[in-house]
Amino acid sequence: MARKTFRGGVHPEGHKELSRDASFEVYLPKGPMVYPLAQHIGRPSTPVVKKGDRVLAGQIIAEASAFVSANIVSGCSGTVKAVDRYRTIGGTYSDAIIIDNDGLYEEAPGIGKACDYRSLSNQEILDKIKAAGIVGMGGAGFPTHVKLAPKDPSAIHYVIANGAECEPYITCDDQLMRNYADEIIAGMMIILKLFPNASGHIVIEDNKPEAIAAMQKAASRIGNIKVISAPVKYPQGGERSCISLVTGIDYRISQLPADVGCVVDNVGTIRAIYKAVCESTPLMERGVTITGEAIARPCNLLTRIGVLCSELHEYAGGFRDGKQAVKMLAGGPMMGVAFDSLDVPLQKNNNALTFLQRDEVAEAEKIRTNCIRCGRCARVCPMGLTPQLMCMAYERGELDRFEHKFHGLECISCGSCTFICPARKPLTQEFKVAKAEIMAIKRAEKEKEGAKA
Amino acid sequence: MSGLYQVSTSPHTRGKLDTQKVMLDVQIALIPAAVMGVINYGFRALLVILLAMASAYASEALFCIAAKRELTIRDLSAGVTGLLLALCLSPSVPWYIPVLGSAFAILFVKCFFGGLGKNFMNPALAARCFLLISFGSVMTNYSVSDAVSSATPLASLLQDKTVNLSAMFWGSASGVIGSSVFALLLGGIYLILVDAISWEIPVSILVSFAAFIAIFGRHGLDPMYIIAHIFGGSAVMSAFFMATDPVTNPVSPAGQLLYGVIIGILTGIFRLYGSAADSGSYAVIVANLATPLIDEYFITLPFGYRKNAQVDKNVGAGRAFSPKMLGPAVSLFVITILAGVGLAGVFNMTRGTIEEQELKAKLASYSTVLTEAETFEYDESLNTAVAELGGKVYGTDFGRSYINEIAVGKDAAGETVGHVVSVTSADGFDGNITLSLGVGTDGVIRGIEFTELAETAGMGMRCAEPEFKDQFAGVSVEQFVLNKAGGSTEDYEIDSVSGASVSSGAVVNAVNAALDFIHANVG
Repeated sequence: MARKTFRGGVHPEGHKELSRDASFEVYLPKGPMVYPLAQHIGRPSTPVVKKGDRVLAGQIIAEASAFVSANIVSGCSGTVKAVDRYRTIGGTYSDAIIIDNDGLYEEAPGIGKACDYRSLSNQEILDKIKAAGIVGMGGAGFPTHVKLAPKDPSAIHYVIANGAECEPYITCDDQLMRNYADEIIAGMMIILKLFPNASGHIVIEDNKPEAIAAMQKAASRIGNIKVISAPVKYPQGGERSCISLVTGIDYRISQLPADVGCVVDNVGTIRAIYKAVCESTPLMERGVTITGEAIARPCNLLTRIGVLCSELHEYAGGFRDGKQAVKMLAGGPMMGVAFDSLDVPLQKNNNALTFLQRDEVAEAEKIRTNCIRCGRCARVCPMGLTPQLMCMAYERGELDRFEHKFHGLECISCGSCTFICPARKPLTQEFKVAKAEIMAIKRAEKEKEGAKA
Repeated sequence: MSGLYQVSTSPHTRGKLDTQKVMLDVQIALIPAAVMGVINYGFRALLVILLAMASAYASEALFCIAAKRELTIRDLSAGVTGLLLALCLSPSVPWYIPVLGSAFAILFVKCFFGGLGKNFMNPALAARCFLLISFGSVMTNYSVSDAVSSATPLASLLQDKTVNLSAMFWGSASGVIGSSVFALLLGGIYLILVDAISWEIPVSILVSFAAFIAIFGRHGLDPMYIIAHIFGGSAVMSAFFMATDPVTNPVSPAGQLLYGVIIGILTGIFRLYGSAADSGSYAVIVANLATPLIDEYFITLPFGYRKNAQVDKNVGAGRAFSPKMLGPAVSLFVITILAGVGLAGVFNMTRGTIEEQELKAKLASYSTVLTEAETFEYDESLNTAVAELGGKVYGTDFGRSYINEIAVGKDAAGETVGHVVSVTSADGFDGNITLSLGVGTDGVIRGIEFTELAETAGMGMRCAEPEFKDQFAGVSVEQFVLNKAGGSTEDYEIDSVSGASVSSGAVVNAVNAALDFIHANVG
């Protein structure tokens, strides 16, 4: 029987060999630490420290300001230098708390105190997760305490740990699973305690045999947690691809995984849950891969959130042969964000910094042709969309057809269609603009209605 | 830190496949068919292919220059059009046919509509149809082995004659350059394997076509008959290479199946009730025109809208094939089929007269070369003798001469007065020369008459003048000899038309072949 997988998908070159076997190095930053208040989905956090305050590692420096929002915790000890605008990795400026790191890493009281999750109520577990400021660490940055509190916990049947790591280049989840399998399994058990009817599933792509073995070994003692090795195919690590693989269920963009009985969390997030609940350690640290052909020493680091990328870049030996990278990405080449300055802090949701020697986008521009309607985009779309028709509708300005006839809002911007397109059309890029335009129109309409009422 | 960094929105990487490689793949898939064409029909076939491709590239380049556009020929799509067109042409077409055809395909069908990906019908097919309409006689002359009344395997099939399936499979039967079913299937399977075309279109075309022939072909489920229909008349070419041109076929798999069934059934209608050899071409073109409409109604639903998706109760589950599509599908289908039946009907109304005219012309030429005959009949044993030649070059001493048919002339009393042989030489200066030769029962040659002669005006064309052709009349010889110097004295000597020894030689060879055939087969 053919192995289960999701429909569609592409096979970009992995490039994981650059860093896959580089064991984690723990790196404690020496320079200043910067914490943008908007580094998660939802409302920006509210600062609870001010200029001149002394803060300790693990201390909450900004609090969740709404239901969908998250706390921010300092990763170092030191003095608050300013609460001011600072450039972020996404290219925008955001209010941020800037801390002069004293290098002592003096911890706030209570950090590291062992705790048995079985002695806690579900609400106490959620409170601990919320206090720790945990958000989705795979990239989206959705506040975890919100995700783990659906209306009806008994309707959740699948808890899925996402260790697919299908993005090219990135290897930090691989290292995390190899080295902290027990902590991830413990984190899974905490989540499973919240959902009495659920079973645990860990999705890992085939190209990580060591991680699969480690997770299988750690899971073998637990009855209802299963490790699934998935074929290597992008975007296996997409939330919908994981759910499709494990359950065979499809759902719409207007629905959440919880609506179809699923909770999906990145393995990094799950480890953070374990650390928060069982070791009383809030989200200060994360795994990050520094990689790409243009970096001297590709590596996997366990470092503190808030560190400036320039420091990580320097720690990884700077540019290979002193030759500046052509492109720098937060994340991998399929969904990563290009940034143009190293003077930006590492955020909770940044799993990699990738330094590229080649700009394939510029190369693609040179050989662009008209769409030849070959249909490959539709065959690789993991959402079952037909990108060529969406593209035609958008280029003609037919946003209504884009949204309602071709269901363009279902697009998850995974980039598969752009990757495969022989005509080198910037499909995903156009769809991002189209979706933004449609959402802007909707918002404007809503505001107009609000003004009338 | 010095220079600036590139920024752009994701994805930042691209696959290896580009338009150029896609186009190259199609051409690779056509190589077997082209090679078989050259093996079967010789150097001329290669020339036609090269001319068509060169003309396609040149037309596109000229258009780009004239329209001050970026030069687009490096995407190699013009090569696909040129090659496809060439493989749909008879190897004996004059040089200007592939050149004009490719130029028409590239300029009128592709460039004028916006270039690559914007054409609304297959350029190569449109050009083929343009040529068929504008240059009917040279286009339908599947010469090398067929002329006048003899036919392609498909024409024979429709007259309930037996056909040589293996010749059709390897492509050695008469027809277009790309007629080898074996080579085309090889290429088609390659395209499916490299994911360049989907299986839906060829399979639905061939299955629906076979079903149509089985139901309406009056041969029931006779597999040999159905296979002969599939092998003949470029049905395989249409199914794998013409209909699958992604630019002009529907996007969704469901739409592609409907499109394929429309083509299959239209091909069947045109084949049985219309213009046989070009049925596939016209069927694909009609379906090409229906494609935008099919695309409008057959949209693949996203996974979240399909049957097994879990959705809110108030939204309701969708399906990949919604019943809403059924109405448009049926009406589209009926409209195209009605159009097809209409076209076939018009053809049928005119066909009777066309055939009558052709027969009259043929008989008229027979009468001129055997004046004492009142009627002409076919003799079964003589027909068998012709059939045994298998459409191959006759003998070894007559150049590339082919015996087309032999008729028996009878007087008013029903007595045999002589025989007329139709013979073609492929060695003319500008293509084929076909002539009828009449010989009385007494062995005296009554005369020759040309039914196909397209030599150079003022030179080869002068073969038709009495001064040359009457030299054959009124003599009784075994074989003629061409006298290039002129001033012949013997009966068996033929003075060459001055300056046209090639044409004259071809005529002499053809006459000698016909004489040899008569001597060998008539009492």
